[in-house]
Amino acid sequence: MSDPGKRDHFRLGFLTAVEVPEKGFVGGLLVTNRFGRPLEFQCTAPVKANRTQEILYGATLKPYLLAELIGRTLVDKVAVKPHVVLTEHAELLDLREHVGIPVACLGGAPGARTMKLGNQQLTFHLDHSGDQSEIERHASDVPPEADLKEPFDRVREALNETLKTVKT
Amino acid sequence: MEPITTERQLLLPRGSSSSDGGLAGPHWLGRPAQEYYSAAAPEIQVQVPAAKESPIEVIGSNLSIGAEIFAAGINGALNRSLVVATENIPFLKGGVSTVGWKPARVKVETFGLTFAESIEFLPKPVEKPPSEKLEKLESILPPQPPALAQGEVAAPPKAPTKLKPPKDAISIEDRLFYLLQPPLQTWLAGQELIMPFEPFPYQYEGIAWLFSHNEALLADEMGLGKTMQTITAIRLLVRSGQVRRVLLVCPKPLLPNWQREFRTWAEELPFVVVEGETDRRRLTWTMPGVPVLIANYEVLVRDFPTFAEGEFPKFDLMVLDEAQRVKNRTSRTAETARAIPRTRSWALTGTPIENRFEEMSALYEYMRIIPPGGTPDLRQLQTLSKEFVLRRTKNLVMTDMPPRLDREAILELSPAQRHAYDTAEKEGVIQLNEMGDQITVQHVFELVLRLKQITNWDPLTGESAKFDRLEADMEEIAASGGKAILFSQWTRCLDWLAGPMKKYGGLIYHGGVPHKQREPILKQFKEDPNSHIILMSYGTGAVGLNLQFAGYVFLFDRWWNPAVEDQAINRAHRIGCKSQVIVTKFISKDTIEERIDRVLQEKREMFAAILGDGDGTNASLSLTASEIFGLFDLKARHGKGTRSIGPK
Repeated sequence: MSDPGKRDHFRLGFLTAVEVPEKGFVGGLLVTNRFGRPLEFQCTAPVKANRTQEILYGATLKPYLLAELIGRTLVDKVAVKPHVVLTEHAELLDLREHVGIPVACLGGAPGARTMKLGNQQLTFHLDHSGDQSEIERHASDVPPEADLKEPFDRVREALNETLKTVKT
Repeated sequence: MEPITTERQLLLPRGSSSSDGGLAGPHWLGRPAQEYYSAAAPEIQVQVPAAKESPIEVIGSNLSIGAEIFAAGINGALNRSLVVATENIPFLKGGVSTVGWKPARVKVETFGLTFAESIEFLPKPVEKPPSEKLEKLESILPPQPPALAQGEVAAPPKAPTKLKPPKDAISIEDRLFYLLQPPLQTWLAGQELIMPFEPFPYQYEGIAWLFSHNEALLADEMGLGKTMQTITAIRLLVRSGQVRRVLLVCPKPLLPNWQREFRTWAEELPFVVVEGETDRRRLTWTMPGVPVLIANYEVLVRDFPTFAEGEFPKFDLMVLDEAQRVKNRTSRTAETARAIPRTRSWALTGTPIENRFEEMSALYEYMRIIPPGGTPDLRQLQTLSKEFVLRRTKNLVMTDMPPRLDREAILELSPAQRHAYDTAEKEGVIQLNEMGDQITVQHVFELVLRLKQITNWDPLTGESAKFDRLEADMEEIAASGGKAILFSQWTRCLDWLAGPMKKYGGLIYHGGVPHKQREPILKQFKEDPNSHIILMSYGTGAVGLNLQFAGYVFLFDRWWNPAVEDQAINRAHRIGCKSQVIVTKFISKDTIEERIDRVLQEKREMFAAILGDGDGTNASLSLTASEIFGLFDLKARHGKGTRSIGPK
């Protein structure tokens, strides 16, 4: 009854993190099919930098925590790999340096090449120019009216729910 | 020249000494000497040879100090050359100690959830163009906002309907499952699941509520789309891999309706009706890979005992339509329904309470909310209802639906009818009185039925005040191209009416009409412009049919239970009806009909007062035995006088 040819349809990853006072950052990655139906969700325990890291990383601390530590862990962890990881924050684009999957940020950046997916403009990492072409091939799989911002709300809601189970 | 790194320089006036290592002045100055230097900071240049034992040579100094600031007579001493002494500080043994730090990747703990693989269905081999498909469907549009006046700002779009975890979802995995599902509007709107029509907001809520409840009683008032909400919720559950086998049980007359609705609302979802000979039905029950089985109550009751214990197939979801069929806990239907192995239990009914509060307990027992035989009190029932029952009325959700206008036609019996009626009542009461304590409710009931039949028409003369009124109304309705539904509890009465109603294209739809002919009859009534009236029995036509194109309903005689009457009326007054529905209830004056109507009305008012929610349709009580006795002034001889007979 199932159609094996459709099994490998375009999958999207929605990566975001929330900062929790006193606990640090909690990240979540939701992998959905091209229509937004969930396939897998992974989230991290709260990650908090120590004082030494805060001093030595300085302004690079947040990108390090979000991209290298949280983002990479989650992308490595998911069993259902997305074809593209979408983020809402430009600083998470650096995740592309640590994973082999295209990473794109919602919204355009001045001077950057962008493409339209669903109802959003996407910006890719400057050092990985081939990513955009790769995703453009799948762009028609995603309905043009698909709201690519909405799944981030789901991830945040799920993270808040998960945080209720974290020991204080 | 090498930098001085381990030596401390001491600048001291000749002849003075320092114990604290600072730049000390004479003790009478009170402050360090350098604070008195008004010129440039003192500067000494020294040369340190490579060999530490060699003396350090001073190669220059700039220590000019204004002498005029001192008045102590020792200014000359301050102008003398300074002697610079050094002291060696040895290196620490073992070299210089340092603190090192290298960035190391720490292991981050994760928590994950994988969603069940959904069932995918092959697309239909030939996809018809949407325009062709829609031509066959009645267009049902949600309420449209009124046109905006100039300068008026459009209202913000309605919030999407999110699935909420049920209260009994304890584990984080269960809760996340619901939270991570897309909003229903996204899920349904032209993406993975094509919907023929846009559901109303309250229907979205109903779908979301059903989706997230393993035990649910959807008790929306008739006509609000319970069928569509149920089918869509089933569709979502199947597509998200939550259920794979669904059993839907409905009254037999509604089988075609459910099939039609499944084809409309879930065209990709295969279903099979359990029907035919015993062997075929057994094969159907056990057939693997069929997501939805539809059976009627009678088939379920007949077939279930034919399976050995534990052999009956298990279902992920069982849905009882018109679930009031299991209100009697000890009936075979109720017992069988409870015994079907299943994971989720839903019930659908527009009349969760027909007679007594306890009927809710029967439904809760089927849903496995209360233990077998449990008898929750009214307060407990109310608490359970908040969690497991969803009920909306048209008044609440369909504020812009065309109104239903009820009018009672109080008719005088024709002379022949009056004579026949009075004679029958008088003789009947005498007979009942003579029976004394032997009398049963059945005896009284028989008299009531006989009298009610006479109010419909006099069999001897064929006179009928109701028919005269009906014909007058039908002339008008037919002339305006309208359509009417007439309900009676007697098929004989319907057959009698069929003759004179032929001139209005009258059609008959009751239990005596073979099942295969029923759908074509409904189709003809809908499509034939010359067909202005359909004659239906309460038992067959009152539930599940969509006849919203009819603008008139006649209740030729009254049913015992107003809930059944409401169900009948709601065949026409439901979502999609474009104009008001005029309901005419025939009541014969000074007859048993008037008395029954009065009793039911009083009970309805009392029920509404107890519930206090103004939900008139919930007050669906029928007559009890004592009330049926009370319709007549029955008295048995008692000594020299008489006494009332009948249950208290």
